[in-house]
Amino acid sequence: MRPHIPPTARPRLRALAAVAVASTLLAVSACGGDSGGNSGGSADGKITLRFTWWGGDTRTKMTQQAIEAYQKDHPNVTIKGEFGEWSGYWDKLATTVAANDAPDIIQMDEKYLREYADRGALLDLKKAEGLDTGKFEEDTLKAGEFDGGLYGLNAGINSFAIVANPAIFKAAGVAMPDDTTWTWDDYTRIAAELSTKLAGKGWGTGAPGTNEAALNLWARQHGESLWTQDGKLGVSAGQVTAFYQQVLKLRDAKAIPSAEFVSQDMNAALDQSAMATGKLAMSWMWSNQLNAMSKAAGKELKLLRVPSVEGKADANGSYYKGSMFWSISSRSKHEKEAAEFVNFLANNTTAGNILLAERGVPPNTEIRSAITPKLQPADAASAKFIQDIGKELGDPSPAPPVGGGQVEKIIQRYTTEVLFGRQTPDKAAQGFIDEVNGELK
Amino acid sequence: MSALGELGSLRGKKPAGQLPDRGGGAGKVYKKDNLAAYLFLAPWLLGLFLITIGPMLASLYLSFTDYNLIQAPQWIGLENFTRMLSDERLHNSLRVTFTYVFVSVPLQLAVALLLAVVLDRGVRGMAFYRSVFYLPSLLGSSVAIAILWRQVFGTEGLLNQVLALVGIDGKGWISDPSTALGTLVVLNVWTFGSPMVIFLAGLRQIPTMYYEAAAVDGAGVLGRFFRITLPLLTPIIFFNLVLQIIHAFQSFTQAFVVSGGTGGPSDSTMFFTLYLYDRGFGNFDMGYASAMAWFLLVIIGAFTAANFFASKYWVFYDD
Repeated sequence: MRPHIPPTARPRLRALAAVAVASTLLAVSACGGDSGGNSGGSADGKITLRFTWWGGDTRTKMTQQAIEAYQKDHPNVTIKGEFGEWSGYWDKLATTVAANDAPDIIQMDEKYLREYADRGALLDLKKAEGLDTGKFEEDTLKAGEFDGGLYGLNAGINSFAIVANPAIFKAAGVAMPDDTTWTWDDYTRIAAELSTKLAGKGWGTGAPGTNEAALNLWARQHGESLWTQDGKLGVSAGQVTAFYQQVLKLRDAKAIPSAEFVSQDMNAALDQSAMATGKLAMSWMWSNQLNAMSKAAGKELKLLRVPSVEGKADANGSYYKGSMFWSISSRSKHEKEAAEFVNFLANNTTAGNILLAERGVPPNTEIRSAITPKLQPADAASAKFIQDIGKELGDPSPAPPVGGGQVEKIIQRYTTEVLFGRQTPDKAAQGFIDEVNGELK
Repeated sequence: MSALGELGSLRGKKPAGQLPDRGGGAGKVYKKDNLAAYLFLAPWLLGLFLITIGPMLASLYLSFTDYNLIQAPQWIGLENFTRMLSDERLHNSLRVTFTYVFVSVPLQLAVALLLAVVLDRGVRGMAFYRSVFYLPSLLGSSVAIAILWRQVFGTEGLLNQVLALVGIDGKGWISDPSTALGTLVVLNVWTFGSPMVIFLAGLRQIPTMYYEAAAVDGAGVLGRFFRITLPLLTPIIFFNLVLQIIHAFQSFTQAFVVSGGTGGPSDSTMFFTLYLYDRGFGNFDMGYASAMAWFLLVIIGAFTAANFFASKYWVFYDD
């Protein structure tokens, strides 16, 4: 609204102002609704399924190919892809679900799985016809299971890890660490040495604590866990404090970049992140991102095990995580067809050959062995990494409870507070714990 | 005033029928005109009821409920409102919003007024300058500009590159909690074009005879500005002030895009509106978010009322 004042409006200005104010005020509290098309069938037996996922360009292209392959064999089914970036994805999903307009097939994350399932928005896949989980590796189903139902089908396995850029190690003249024996102190020392040798052109490592995964590993290394089985916060204020003291050690040794830099990098898109632009020798990342990150960096990157307290890789707290899940909306009008499509994504070799390990290593062991020879170097490396650490893993990590999806933003905020020296580790730890507890419902 | 009066009467004679109740015609014509008016108003009225009043009433209802977007809302009375009292992040978001409003609006209006006065002096190519200065207002709240802002004020942004040329070590303006809000204030000040254009229109209305008389009496440039321009411009200043305050309270896009949707670093750019969005869509707490929306309405309403009340003491209507 651009108010235009007529030249003689002086006497009427008051009235005009009042009208303008009133109409602007009216706009304050009105929230726009989103009404969308409905996924429906028609008389000739043709049906349309809506399928939503987050991810970059690579994933979108692969997924579209898989959709086309499926449609070729199922001429009566049309699958409409809806895709976007991670950050906007959840807002959009929340609105469509609220508007009773949820997509039939949803790419789901562990953080939000319970949020949706507990509210009855997701279908129990155990009851879905046409979905077979017989070939799935044991344990991989558990992360999507609770209260006796299966609400998310594991779409790929990954693990939190350190990604290293061997070219930068070489340029700095620093030897790659032995990741099976390194400790937090080794990690700090090596990263600091890298920063020194790079002399301002780069830094040793990105900071842990820009998401909750590193804190979870830290907690698991110290006999705790971010979440408990019964859906509570499992990490103590003492361990969060210790974790932040470790972060400060990294900062004071100049092993990580400046607080401003870390804060800026925290929410950068993958291909603009400091790891991709060659500013960091090491960073924290999910293993399935190796391919995308290698492509963005234009260099062959390498996955390393995370450091541990005593230099024992089998005590570094690592675990297999479902990188993402396939869920079906409980309000889908075509449950059977949606389940068949999910079955195709999970168990069909054609789909496996298209999707490869972009969403993580396939949990279906048959598909896994079928695609292994076809993997690109980076995907092959991350698949091998997942296999290598298999023997060292501890217990599976309990899934976040309802409200746990907020933890990523919360830890980012407290990490920023600590790095800028605005809060001491113990104060930030207490703040973190209070706030996370406040979000759990 | 004669010129203005003439203009006014000219407008009054226009047979446009924009004010039918003044036409003094027969009752039939009056009713017919009414119907036509409502017909023309219909699209706007439909919009008003369907996408403004309707959702507003819905949000008023939701503000008394616990509503997680998926399950049916449950009535919880005033709980959402009492929760606000102890919500520290909400208090922080109020601090951030108030700082933003009270720093950026006066600055923006000062810049707008200054440039309007300079342009009003009859600069050659004024139409060009007016458009150029107005441009940021059109772009200012767009996503593209907010992304540009990230680039300009980032660690390796344009600003730091310029600073480096003169030997100053820059910093990550957007990623440092102590300067992030400042970059948003600068962004808002930069969109001074729309109040500037209104000021320009206002300046044009000030009869030149006042200036002529003042000049005869030996008033200097500053004297004329403070004793003639400013008092006669107070209605326009008031108008701009009210609108820009409301506008600033509602700012969302800039903070959302510049902070990557987080209100960060460390909640330093967490506007009230952004926190509202975060609660509603990030945390599935739509009841609370609705309550927050109504709280914001009350805040803005209170400020606007206070503004109108205070205007009695400083706004001068030259009627």
